[in-house]
Amino acid sequence: MTHSTLLIAFPKGRLGDELVPKLAGTPLALDAAALKSRVLRIPTATPGVAALLLKGADLPRYVAAGVASLGIVGSDTLDEMDMDLLELADLGFGACRLSLCAKAGVTLDVLRTRPHLRLATKFPKATEAWLTREGLTAELVPLSSSAELAPLLGLADAIVDLVQTGGTLKAHGLVETAVLGRSSARLVAARGAYLSEPGRIRPLADMLLGALKTKA
Amino acid sequence: MAVRTPHFPDLLFGSAARLRRWEGALMGLLEAHGYRELHPSLVLREAVPEGALRFFDGDELVALRWDFTVALAGLLARSFPTPPDRVAYAGAVFRRPVQPWEAVERFEVGCERIQPEGEPAAEADVELARMLMAIPGLLGLKSAILHLGNAALVRRPLEAEGLFGELAYAVVAALSRRAPHRVREALDGHPSAKRLSAHAEALLSELDGPGTLAALEASPYASLLEEERSHMDRALKALLPILPPNLELRVDLADVAGLDFYTGPTLRLWAPGAQQELAAGGRYDRLFPGLGRPWQAAGFCVRLSRLLDLAATRPDLFEEQGVSPSNR
Repeated sequence: MTHSTLLIAFPKGRLGDELVPKLAGTPLALDAAALKSRVLRIPTATPGVAALLLKGADLPRYVAAGVASLGIVGSDTLDEMDMDLLELADLGFGACRLSLCAKAGVTLDVLRTRPHLRLATKFPKATEAWLTREGLTAELVPLSSSAELAPLLGLADAIVDLVQTGGTLKAHGLVETAVLGRSSARLVAARGAYLSEPGRIRPLADMLLGALKTKA
Repeated sequence: MAVRTPHFPDLLFGSAARLRRWEGALMGLLEAHGYRELHPSLVLREAVPEGALRFFDGDELVALRWDFTVALAGLLARSFPTPPDRVAYAGAVFRRPVQPWEAVERFEVGCERIQPEGEPAAEADVELARMLMAIPGLLGLKSAILHLGNAALVRRPLEAEGLFGELAYAVVAALSRRAPHRVREALDGHPSAKRLSAHAEALLSELDGPGTLAALEASPYASLLEEERSHMDRALKALLPILPPNLELRVDLADVAGLDFYTGPTLRLWAPGAQQELAAGGRYDRLFPGLGRPWQAAGFCVRLSRLLDLAATRPDLFEEQGVSPSNR
């Protein structure tokens, strides 16, 4: 990598699936052939600007360390990781709720009465903050995927997870019992790159915002 | 979760020589401006903060010097009935880092400009900025950026709105992220939400040269901050004519780093492409009154450890003499 190449970290998965079509036909469109390959560093339509495709939980680290100058990541991940990043804009897409979900018929009041409440989640920090606000205590069961299985198989009483359409919850017989917060895609920047080279990074951020606005 | 191992750097020939050379050059600059060296003890017996390297000296808990300004303030308040006006320091501090890649032992050179309370402070602030402007050339940096800020631009509106504690912290954290949408979220439902959100938009709208100050006109607190604006304007007028080649001056209205400490103008030195600021400082008028001394102060600290790292990882940012390969 040369210092003259600017890297933008794009998320894989749900957010990435929404993002990539939005960039098509813009100066930051990702090279279609490279996208189909297994390559994780993808040229864009703008020379000197390339994209890294990263998992959401890894992405903030690449940006915070200045490897990528900009990135797009969900605010849920940002809140959970608390990295030293600049958050230049709320991009609006990828909107979802961070919700407490349990088997149908198990309400929040029922959960409150459990002497030993167990909550499975990928979001321990947000869950702890909500428990504190609610005056509750619980055992947190850390999971990294497929949290919906936990209440069904008795690993936990309920889960705290992201809900977009509710389809996955419904398929597993779960319902939302409380909304803890909301999440959406955010444009983040490396503090060092942004403050030490605003002349390079701000135009790139503006280009990205412009591309997403065009396709909104 | 970050995995950390304490990092105590051993400096090999090139870095050791560079440290010695830079330390000498910087102390020479400070001495030429009338700053005299004080050397506070490496072991501090004051209240030990979290993050310091602590150990028992017999029954007494002590710590390695974690911050020069704090160490010097204690020394000055104890030993001087009237303050020496210009003080310099050089050496190491030991502090567990916030960022996992930073070392525990860090080398610094810095200075403090101290005056009795009530004396005009503008000259002192400009004096510090002028010295900081000379430092990139002294260290062989090919180019650098000096950010001018003012902690009062955020502190005073928060105080005027009676915003303290967690809510004020959330606003400052959002400004630190340069995220106006987070300011709006944090203040949702608060009576000052509209005014402070508009102020945040104004502070974050520009990060540029002297014209940036005009962005304050859009703030609902423009008249409250008239004095700060005119102070920054005067500083810019004094500094711009003597700006060295390859040094860029930028006004950062949203500089909130260290807001619990700084009370007025702030200075931060960057090199293009560096991931961390290389020097930082500002006015902190509440430190000495807190120690029972009616003095006001400002100063800056050059982070030599970061400069040594930068010389190793980005030698292209330095003139060849500073970091030639044979010198590493």
